[in-house]
Amino acid sequence: MRIKIFFFATVREYVGAKTVEMEVPMQTTVAMLKKLLVKKYPQMASTQKSIIAAVNSEYSADEFLIPADAEIAFFPPVSGG
Amino acid sequence: MDYPTIITITKLELDLDALIARVTLPSTGAAAIFSGIVRGKTERGKAHKTSYLEYEAYQPMAEAKMHQVANEIRNRWPLVEGIAIVQRIGRLYPQTPTLMIICTAEHRDTGVFEAARYGIDRLKEIVPIWKKEVSPEGEFWVEGEYIPKSGE
Repeated sequence: MRIKIFFFATVREYVGAKTVEMEVPMQTTVAMLKKLLVKKYPQMASTQKSIIAAVNSEYSADEFLIPADAEIAFFPPVSGG
Repeated sequence: MDYPTIITITKLELDLDALIARVTLPSTGAAAIFSGIVRGKTERGKAHKTSYLEYEAYQPMAEAKMHQVANEIRNRWPLVEGIAIVQRIGRLYPQTPTLMIICTAEHRDTGVFEAARYGIDRLKEIVPIWKKEVSPEGEFWVEGEYIPKSGE
């Protein structure tokens, strides 16, 4: 299935892209996708703190199953204000 | 009763008077306002100077989470009338307002102060916006502490 991934702040700089589209198997979890991405972009592993995942604009745990056509974002803890 | 909720992410200059007008009803007698400002000179912790901040947002999710913060305020402080949560993004220099949170109510003893305080604290936990700090010594991304729970 096809998914769209967005990166922000430090994660965007480590990956070197704002967004990528990827083909992943059905039943892919957030943790599996993270692993795939770290393999593709090893710098991602060097973020200072944990990377947060959001699937279709909701914070999602590692075991969450990614639906088809999902929009996924990876980013560091937020710092607005 | 329909109370106004204003949620905005903008690159434009913030206009406090215009914003207050949008959350003021005929019954409104109090407005608690929190505004974040770019601090050019920091003394607390590691003393340093700031040249500017560069803000970035995951806009659709940030707007959804700002609405969630407003809903949480309404659930906790039912006497709050209008709520405005406005974040400016882009490159912002010292002494510039970056954010305004306004909660209005009939009177000041309705929880409006606490509501505005909750608004900024919660925004810094769950609204996906980040800032890069640029100083004469270099630049770094500011990162928060909070890890949101699944579905939060």
